[in-house]
Amino acid sequence: MPEIQPEVQPAARPRRARTMSLSRQLIAGVLLTELLLASALLVVLVLYTQRLLLSAFDSMLQERAMATAALVRYSEKKPFQLVFDATLQPPSPNRLHPDFYRVQETGGPVIAADWPAGLPPATSRTPTVSTWHGVHYRSLRLTQLPVLDTEENLPGPAPKLTVSYASPMLSIEQRVLDAAIFAGAAGLLLLAATGLLTIWGIRRGLAPLRRLAGQAAEISALNWEFRPPPAARDTAELAPLIAALESMLSRLHQSFLRQREFLGNAAHELKTPVAIMKSTLQSLLQRPRDNQAYRLGLEQSLEDLERLQLLLDRMLRLERIEQAAESGAASRLPEVSLAAGCAAALERLQELAQARQIETKLVVKQDALVRAEGDDLELIWTNLIENAVKYSPSGSRVEIRVEAAGGEARISVEDEGPGIAAADLPRIFDRFYRGDPSRNRGTGGFGLGLAIVKSLVEAYRGKIRVESRRPAGLRFIVELPAHALPEIVAAPA
Amino acid sequence: MRVLIVEDEPRLAENLARSLRETASYAVDIANDGEAGLEMAQQNPYDLIVLDLMLPKLEGGEVLRQLRSEKVATPVLILTAREDKASVVALLNSGADDYVAKPFDLGEFLARVKALIRRGKGQATPLLTVADLEINTLERRVQRRGVEVVLTPMEYRVLEYLAHRPRVVVSKSELLEHLYDYNWEKFSNVIEVYISGLRRKLDNDHPVKLIHTLRGHGYSLSAEPAAGEQV
Repeated sequence: MPEIQPEVQPAARPRRARTMSLSRQLIAGVLLTELLLASALLVVLVLYTQRLLLSAFDSMLQERAMATAALVRYSEKKPFQLVFDATLQPPSPNRLHPDFYRVQETGGPVIAADWPAGLPPATSRTPTVSTWHGVHYRSLRLTQLPVLDTEENLPGPAPKLTVSYASPMLSIEQRVLDAAIFAGAAGLLLLAATGLLTIWGIRRGLAPLRRLAGQAAEISALNWEFRPPPAARDTAELAPLIAALESMLSRLHQSFLRQREFLGNAAHELKTPVAIMKSTLQSLLQRPRDNQAYRLGLEQSLEDLERLQLLLDRMLRLERIEQAAESGAASRLPEVSLAAGCAAALERLQELAQARQIETKLVVKQDALVRAEGDDLELIWTNLIENAVKYSPSGSRVEIRVEAAGGEARISVEDEGPGIAAADLPRIFDRFYRGDPSRNRGTGGFGLGLAIVKSLVEAYRGKIRVESRRPAGLRFIVELPAHALPEIVAAPA
Repeated sequence: MRVLIVEDEPRLAENLARSLRETASYAVDIANDGEAGLEMAQQNPYDLIVLDLMLPKLEGGEVLRQLRSEKVATPVLILTAREDKASVVALLNSGADDYVAKPFDLGEFLARVKALIRRGKGQATPLLTVADLEINTLERRVQRRGVEVVLTPMEYRVLEYLAHRPRVVVSKSELLEHLYDYNWEKFSNVIEVYISGLRRKLDNDHPVKLIHTLRGHGYSLSAEPAAGEQV
């Protein structure tokens, strides 16, 4: 089925390619905002310039119209007709597109006109725009203008003038365009400059992040050292990330160390049983033997193998407990009676105790309920009692007491055995610790029972300690968060 | 040869002892804890001590240290579950002669035991020669002038012990101590039996006698007659 694989891969690829860049997004955002601002500014600027220029243009248009009207005077001979002195008309500023005018006596004849046929006549005081030969012309018409020239012997009322005047808007348009180009260029330049600045700034701002990533990338199972750059630690946005990373790393490191220690211990502990088995089988094969010898050898090997299996089971159980403790014990656990658990454990060990002629006694001063898996608690009591029974001389007593007060239960297991040197007491809960290996091996221990007990007690947020008794013996004390049962239950030994 | 095994796992100790007895014809004593091991090593002349490190009562390392401080020069082969360089170096420096890491190969263990015993006696090869006598300690075969000589296991053990120290006069009690387990006293008369057996098988057909008896002193293996020898 190797053909299937290539089909799977491309499906996963697009996800990978579409990585989102924070800095690119930031830069794009800044530039877009700037572009919008610059465009708005450009529009406002153009409109404002245009308005300014138009109003100046319009006053100029009006002035020129008035000046044109001023050129109208009476003829020197009678009958005093109105004449226009074109010679006094100033030349148009733009020769290619000259100004046009038309002077008319209001309600009378046209006095003078330089107005092309294609240009629509002006109709009002307010300037209007019309096009002639592809050029925009702005034109206005002023009416009721007085004739400046005076003539005394004039019959009838003084005539009024109507002046139309048109001027090309080329210069305005050019200037508006110039202004727009200038503003646009300036805007673009600004945009480019700020774009570069933003890129630089963001790069610089994100540098601690990059260095942080570089540091984080160097962490491996061989190198747990994590030294976040000080700049990153001083960055408000990165500080929580660093704190989270550090706490995660420290937890991982602890867990890793524990795993490695466990593996080392386990490998070490497994070597001896493996060595025994190997030597048994090899010495069996060294020379031909009879069937009975082979049978004996196989039986011995099987025995060794069973011990090996037991050791493995215990180690795995311990590992499971610790992992469960790490992931946090569930609160939806049943409530278990301590007295009942101790009684069950004692029941189970009754045979061993009788075989070793040890008297066991359970004293329940106050029973209590603990939220726990019943099996877990029973394993605690079984291991503690078994430990006590195994190391007690025959004829001695092992006593289990259950007490409770406030939110805490206290269970103690006492024996009258030889005890352990004070210096060794703290190590008694260590994995694979054996106070006296010969004694432990004789009783089939691996040095894991008490480690399992400690892990279990701690998984239930309890405490365990051990103390020497006088004149001899050990006392294990387990304290667990619990709530006491109301009535006192006296249980038989 | 007599070997002491100090090992707290009874099954392992028995297996090693059985192998040494069966394949090398060594006398083997077993101690199950460090204290017993130290005591036995102090009281008996062993040709090799096999010492486990993790021992009840007294740790193997401490046994070794005490033995060496009392000038007991017997070769010591360490059984260890730790194979890291530092601990091996520390072991060798504190007077161990060699080590095997658990789980070890029984064949390798035997080879190291034999090599250590040989070296302890100043012999570099497993082939011992005295004049025209050849003893192959690996195959436990004996030849004189190229002719195979068939010996009983005990005769071989006496001969091998003598051959490891040619020309040296070895006392009867030394032979007994090295050839038997701790309860050797009850065998005190058998050495003469083995010596006469060896003489018959090795020397009878040859003009040059190799086995010499010095009455009141002991025995030696040599091509030249020893001073004060009684024939």
